[in-house]
Amino acid sequence: MNFEEFQNQSRLYVIGSLESEELEEFEKARKKFGKKAEDFITACYGLHEAFALSLRPAKASTAIKERLMSMVRARKQV
Amino acid sequence: MHRKANKRVRTARPKTRHFSPPPRLEPGAPTDLDLMRAIQAADPEALSQLYDRYNGILKALILRVIHNEAEADDLLQEIFMEIWNQAKNFSAQKGKPLGWMVTLARRRAIDGLRKKQAYARAEERLQNETEQQPDAWVHNATEEEIALSDTRTLIRKVISGLPPAQQQAIDLAFFRGMSQREIAAKTNTPLGTVKTRLELGLKKIYDGLKELRDEL
Repeated sequence: MNFEEFQNQSRLYVIGSLESEELEEFEKARKKFGKKAEDFITACYGLHEAFALSLRPAKASTAIKERLMSMVRARKQV
Repeated sequence: MHRKANKRVRTARPKTRHFSPPPRLEPGAPTDLDLMRAIQAADPEALSQLYDRYNGILKALILRVIHNEAEADDLLQEIFMEIWNQAKNFSAQKGKPLGWMVTLARRRAIDGLRKKQAYARAEERLQNETEQQPDAWVHNATEEEIALSDTRTLIRKVISGLPPAQQQAIDLAFFRGMSQREIAAKTNTPLGTVKTRLELGLKKIYDGLKELRDEL
């Protein structure tokens, strides 16, 4: 696998779309390309952020935050 | 409380390049990284601020996956609890806090969808939506009310530039957690075509967002 192919596979990898039979070869290439591969994969995770930011924010129930914060504070006091 | 997070020392941004521009913050407001570091130091107020900043985005993501308002609210609470509990595992070297939170939220939402066996029901709803709005990403691109609106509009512009078949493949993979084979079966498309659509679509989005980031 050359690096361009690895880049294509990386974008599939970060969204969980590599099929099991592709994963093995991907992991081999990942080892082969080392840091360059890890940096590229990290950059690809930015796709997650972009997809989330592409959505119109939804309003959460006001009770959710109250419940969350009381749980967090209770846990912190333990 | 707000001040507490403000006092924290700002650290250098990670070297890794990321796509989207950061949300606009009021002068003096703590950055996401400041808040994550404060959460790592067990400061509940930092979590409160992070919640205020991103609950809308994360809930939209969860809703896009599970299509159920009440379940989305419950899951949102669980996800922020996980952010609190797992904050120690966040590393600025591996990406931005929002990216980490979105990855976590997406995984939980897809797990939740499968665990609750709501898959069939959501499938039906998705099918109805797809029939009514074949291009949901584009359909949702309307006027914006919040500070992230410009970012969203720009990202949508990149996504909406893709052919509908590529958008659909990516939508099913990212928001539904479907494998290439599942997408092929659902869309009655050869597996090789699905793979090509995903590869081409993701590359165009990746390149488009990179250009967008470079321009900003």
